[in-house]
Amino acid sequence: MSASQPAEAPIAVALDSLILRLMLLILAGILTAAMVMQYAFGEIPCPLCLLQRFAMFGCCFGIALQLRSGTNERGTGISLIFTILLLVISVRQTLLDLFPRPGHEYVGSPIFGIHMPVWSVFIAVALLLGFAIRLALFGGPHSAPEAEGAPMHRLTQGLITYVVFICAINFLSVVLQCGIGECHTSGYLLLP
Amino acid sequence: MMASVYATLLIAFILDLSGLRRSAVTCLFLSLALCVWLFLWKIYSPDYGFRMPWLQAEVAPIFAPLWSS
Repeated sequence: MSASQPAEAPIAVALDSLILRLMLLILAGILTAAMVMQYAFGEIPCPLCLLQRFAMFGCCFGIALQLRSGTNERGTGISLIFTILLLVISVRQTLLDLFPRPGHEYVGSPIFGIHMPVWSVFIAVALLLGFAIRLALFGGPHSAPEAEGAPMHRLTQGLITYVVFICAINFLSVVLQCGIGECHTSGYLLLP
Repeated sequence: MMASVYATLLIAFILDLSGLRRSAVTCLFLSLALCVWLFLWKIYSPDYGFRMPWLQAEVAPIFAPLWSS
């Protein structure tokens, strides 16, 4: 940290990383729930749903990057790019599914009365709000990453490894559903 | 196509875990470009282009006089 820049209070640094960890945890939970919906309840994801999952993974990547390098806001920037991508895809899908018509009858089952693309809009707006609040409260770069071996560092590493694990599961699932071609919601291409 | 989007994303995550941060970010942006291309290809219709003609908007009666003047 430069001499001209005042040192940030430890509580502010801790709160900042806590917010990031919480965002990563919530995103990991949402992505896990999506996998559970897919395999336990037979909700085969549409191509735009898969792209929305991709955007959430990209957001996780940015948060993970930010958690490991607290000296700049590059990770937050990457997360914001993917959050905007999530918002654009989910809004377009919501507008596509507004009126079921031939070729666009499938919109999946609602959760608490709200369909998945609309939930994605809420998630994207919540992420944007989360990043905005975080930047408004804690500002720019201020902290060095935690020391290796610290409990919070191990927790973060565990969470990031879990996100990579569900990303690998999603990749296998996409190959199973779509092969290397176009995706369809009619079934799994590689399953009999 | 979707498989390549997820494959590049997974490679980006693995490179990041391996400490190759610059390569990881490059791979992530490659996957982003593939995703944007796939998204645009998916929503493009030969009949409508990128438009959504099933969404019809009308000027509300209260504003109609203002609109015509």
